[in-house]
Amino acid sequence: MTFIESIRRTVGRGAKTVEPDAEPTVTAVPAASQTAPGPAVDIAPTDPLFAYLQAAPGVVDAERLELESAALAELRAGGVKVIVPLVTQGELIGALYLGPRLSDQDYSTDDRKLLSTLAAQAAPAIRVAQLVREQAVEIQARERLEQEMRVATLIQQQFLPRELPQLHDWQVAAYYGPARAVGGDFYDFIPLPDGRIGIVVGDVTDKGVPAALIMARTQSVLRGEAPRLQSPAKVLERANEILLPEMPARMFVTCLYMILEPETGRVVYANAGHNLPYVRTADEVIELRATGMPLGLLPGMDYPEHEAVLAPGQSVLLYSDGLVEAHDPAGDMFGFPRLKELMAVERPGSDLIDHLLDELHGFVGRGWDQEDDITLVALQRTGGREVALADHDPEHAGERVLLKVSLPGAAGNERLAMDRVAEAIEPLGLEPARFERLKTAVSEAAMNAIEYGSQNDPAIPVEIEAVVVDDDLVVRISDQGLGGPMGEAEEPDIDKKLAGEQKPRGWGLFLIKHMVDAMEVTTHGTGQTVSLILHLKGVDDGSQSVQG
Amino acid sequence: MTTGTTSVEVRRLSPAAAVIEVHGDITAASEPLLAEAYTRASDDGAKAVVLDFAGLDYMNSGGIGLLVTLLVRSQRQGQRLMAVGLNDHYRQILSLTRLDEAIGIYDSEAAALSAAGA
Repeated sequence: MTFIESIRRTVGRGAKTVEPDAEPTVTAVPAASQTAPGPAVDIAPTDPLFAYLQAAPGVVDAERLELESAALAELRAGGVKVIVPLVTQGELIGALYLGPRLSDQDYSTDDRKLLSTLAAQAAPAIRVAQLVREQAVEIQARERLEQEMRVATLIQQQFLPRELPQLHDWQVAAYYGPARAVGGDFYDFIPLPDGRIGIVVGDVTDKGVPAALIMARTQSVLRGEAPRLQSPAKVLERANEILLPEMPARMFVTCLYMILEPETGRVVYANAGHNLPYVRTADEVIELRATGMPLGLLPGMDYPEHEAVLAPGQSVLLYSDGLVEAHDPAGDMFGFPRLKELMAVERPGSDLIDHLLDELHGFVGRGWDQEDDITLVALQRTGGREVALADHDPEHAGERVLLKVSLPGAAGNERLAMDRVAEAIEPLGLEPARFERLKTAVSEAAMNAIEYGSQNDPAIPVEIEAVVVDDDLVVRISDQGLGGPMGEAEEPDIDKKLAGEQKPRGWGLFLIKHMVDAMEVTTHGTGQTVSLILHLKGVDDGSQSVQG
Repeated sequence: MTTGTTSVEVRRLSPAAAVIEVHGDITAASEPLLAEAYTRASDDGAKAVVLDFAGLDYMNSGGIGLLVTLLVRSQRQGQRLMAVGLNDHYRQILSLTRLDEAIGIYDSEAAALSAAGA
C-alpha cells in the first residue's frame, strides 16, 4: 500500500472544507521516504465527478475514468491513481485519494476490496465526527451570542430610569421592550432647576453590547450637560461634539430632547434625527416638528429649538422606531398613520401605552420575533391652572378637573356617562369595589338627569364633571330641569313592593345614596346638580358595611 | 334572543327547575325579553327558576325593578326565584335593597338546586 491522501469533505450545499485539524486522516504504512503529500482537491458539487463518486459502486480508477471534470484533471496531475468515495446514506462526504503503489504494481482485486470495506466502515464514522464538531461550533456561537445579549441587557437596565417622575397634574408613563438582540434604545428623565424636567428618547444604530455601551455613554453625556446648559438645542449641540470623536465607525445616535415645565405645560425641544413626537389635542393629533442630524456623525451641527404648550387634557408621545417599524406576518409595517390614529383616542398616559402595545400585539400576531427595541414615553396633562382660571368660578377654585363633558340627553347615554367618568378617574386608583360603586352611582344619577332633566331629548344636554377638591373626588351631574322638580321620592321598601303597595321601580336615588360617601343636590335655575362625593383619604378599607 | 346588548337563554336543569342565563345588560329595557324567558322557564311546571348572572355586564335600578317584578310573579305562581353567578358588586346591591332576602343567592347551580329540593 502507498500513502493515503488526506480526506477533504465536499459539502453538497456549497464548497465548505472542514478545517485541517478536524480532518480524519488515515495513514498508510510508508515503505520508503518518497511519500510526498498528495493534492488537496475539493470537488465542487457542480463538478461531474461529484455525482459520479456519489453513485460509484466502489473504488474508482482515476486514470481510466472518462469525465469532463476539472477536479479529476487536477487529481490526475497530482498523481492520484485511485479514488475511494466515502458515501454514507447516499451522501458523498469525502474521498480517499491514493497515489501509485510503492511496488509500482497495479492495485490488486484484494487491495480494492480492502479499500471498499475500509470506506464503507469509515464513511459513517467520519460523518458522525463531522456532525458532532459542527454542533459543537454552533453551540459555542450561540452561547457567545446569548452571553453578549445578557451583557447588553444588563447595561441597558442599568441605565434606564428606575422610577417615573411624580409630576403634579401630569400622568407620566414609559415602556421599554428590548428585542431579542437588544438594540440601543433608551429614555431618561432628567430633573432640572425650577421643577422642570428633561425628557430624552433615543436610539443607537446597531445592536448588542456596542450599542448598549454607546447608549450608556450618550445618556451620561446628556445627564451631565442638561442641567448646565438648559437649552435643548445647546445640549444636543454639545453632546454631538463630545460623542463625535468617541463614536465607532458607522454608528450614531438619534435622540429627541424635550424640557417640560409641568406647571404651565410649556415644552421646549430639539431633535437629533429622531421620530417626531405626537401631541393629541381635543380635535386632532399633530406632530411636533423639529429636524437635526443624529449625534456623532458630523462636527459643528446646529439643532433648531422649538416650543409648544400642552393644554390640560392633551398628551404627548415620544417613541422609537421599534413600534412603527414592526411587521405583521404578511410583511406590512405598523406605520406612522396607524400610530397617529390610535393616538387620537383620549386616554390617560399609562393607558395609551397599554393600548398601543395591545394594538401592536394584535397587529404582529402570535410568535412575533421582535426586530428592534420598542421605547414609548407618554405624558398627559390631567389638570392645571388654566382650567381653574378659565372657569373664573371662585366657588370651584383649587379644583383639579379630571373630566368636563356635555352629553346628549338621550336614553341609554347613562352608560356613556359612566364610562367617561370611569376612564377619567382611573388614574386615582380607587379601590375596585369603591370604583364599581361610584360607576353605578354615576350611571343612576345620569339616568335621572336624562329621563327627568332632558326628558330623553338628545338636544337637551346633561353636563358631567369630575374633579378632585381637597381630598375628595366629586362627580357633578347637572340637568336642564325640563321635567320640573323631582320631588321627594318615598324610600323604596322591598316588602311594600312585593305586597304591591309600591311600584317595583324607584330604586335610583336609593342606590346612589348607598353607593357614595355623600350626595348633595343643588339647584341652578330650573335644573339641578347632583354631586357624588367619594373621600380619597381616611377610608378604612373601602368596603362599605353591607346592611339593609 | 337579543335586545340591544342583552340576550337570555333558558335551560332545563331538572324536571322541577330551569335556568335563565343572562348575558349583557339588565335594565328596564330588558323587561319583555326577561318576562318571555320567565314564561318559557315556567312552561313545564318548574318549581324553581334560577337566574344565572355570570354573563352580566351591567344592571341598573331599572334592572332591580325588573327583578322585583319577576319576584312578585314567582311568588304568585308559587315558584322559588334564585340567583347564581353574581359578582360582589351586584351581591352588595341585592343586599342593600334586601332583594337577597326574597331571592335565594347561591354560589353554584348545584347549590341552588339542592336548596330548592328540585
